[in-house]
Amino acid sequence: MPLIRKDPPDAISPESPGPAIADLASASADRRWAAARTAASEPGGIAALGRALAVEANPRVREAILTALARRGSAEAVDAVLPHLRSDDAGLRTAVLDTLRAMPLALAPYLAGLLRDRDADVRLLACDLARDPAIAGAADLLCDLLARDPSANVCAAAVEVLAEIGEAAALPALAHCATRFPVDPFLAFAVEMATQRILSQPLGRP
Amino acid sequence: MIEPQAVTAEEFRRLCEFLYRRTGLVFTETKRYYVERRVIDRIEATGARSFADYFVLLRGDVRGEIEQFINAFTVNETYFYREDHQLRCLTSDLLPERTRLNGRGRTIRIWSVPCATGEEPYSIAIWLLENWPEVDGYDVEIVGSDIDTRALQAAAAGVFGQRALMRLPDDLVAKYFVPLDQDRWTILDDLRSSIRFTPVNLVDSGDTRPHGQFDVIFCRNVLIYFDDASRRVAAENLYETLAPGGFICLGHTESMSRISPLFEARRFGDAIVYQRPREDGHA
Repeated sequence: MPLIRKDPPDAISPESPGPAIADLASASADRRWAAARTAASEPGGIAALGRALAVEANPRVREAILTALARRGSAEAVDAVLPHLRSDDAGLRTAVLDTLRAMPLALAPYLAGLLRDRDADVRLLACDLARDPAIAGAADLLCDLLARDPSANVCAAAVEVLAEIGEAAALPALAHCATRFPVDPFLAFAVEMATQRILSQPLGRP
Repeated sequence: MIEPQAVTAEEFRRLCEFLYRRTGLVFTETKRYYVERRVIDRIEATGARSFADYFVLLRGDVRGEIEQFINAFTVNETYFYREDHQLRCLTSDLLPERTRLNGRGRTIRIWSVPCATGEEPYSIAIWLLENWPEVDGYDVEIVGSDIDTRALQAAAAGVFGQRALMRLPDDLVAKYFVPLDQDRWTILDDLRSSIRFTPVNLVDSGDTRPHGQFDVIFCRNVLIYFDDASRRVAAENLYETLAPGGFICLGHTESMSRISPLFEARRFGDAIVYQRPREDGHA
């Protein structure tokens, strides 16, 4: 019989042997990976993970940092991640969006502010975050945005999300938005599609 | 007798939060009946007078209650040779690649997690003995792990009913099992004693790391019970417990690509598996 039973196996080395926060700046990617996986439980660790995210170039370590923050799912974790929504690195922005989606309850109090951010790109990404059903009142926030946001692209993103999560109460805001950008026929088309989708729901959304 | 309404909405929320923090398993209001039924069973089993009393026992882990509580929430329905296309892939593609890279003399390590009551790790063992011509040239170590310690006891006992054996050809049942009575069979002692069963919580690296690194991991139909954050933690723990270049097989409705970018998807025939990149940068 070639099957063998070994007891015990060779264990993987324990995580970061020293303070994990210091190891976040190690030259070794393996040590930074290990540190990223434990730093959140050290005092000041969550903020340190946020700072490390700004300089971490290794995709594997970056993923470990974001996973550690997502697992925390706290306001402090959202604070650590949010600045990177403005990153010039599209890969990091996408990863940050995924991380924020993984902690919708912690993110919810931030959504109104994000939808009013001075940066249109951040507002556009925030519209996508509003899609999560765990975020109460998201449709109202998007309707508010439709009434005032100066960017047609941001409004189009909000319209797309409302088509998914909106109820009949969103229809007036959608109709008004279509009139705000008369030179942009795409928006009127998107509003019409969203309106049809909402009206096709028998009794509003579940 | 405790009635379901003895668990208030706030208590339900605290309970689900506790379960989530411990295991990564997510239960919402839609699963309230499922959760309440099990909690009431545990309240009655422990003799607690109310949910509040029980929650004190649970949080204090009095008489190992956390383990009993978690055991009550696991699903252990499976059978031999389930998703056999992955077993075919194991012998036709995964093991040849691992042995080609690592050469002879090195133990091949395979992990079945969660292994429930043992059907999967025993299936792997039988499949290798029956279908891998190279099997006599290598030492093969198979480990089965699960968070449910009751299931692990059943796995180690190696007694199975008709339903578990329904996909296994009669000649294999006759070859590897001994009838116990009309409806139950015991797996051969040689096979039973060759597999090590261990408790593991996939979202706890303190649990996963002592298992070392594996060439192939079967991790089917468990990540679907986790929320996004816990799935990512589990994926990182699995990444650590895979040898560079090692493979992980998920359930047919699961996709590692939607959970974590750490792995590379590989297609072998009708099976999609995920690989930890080799350290030299090759898949």
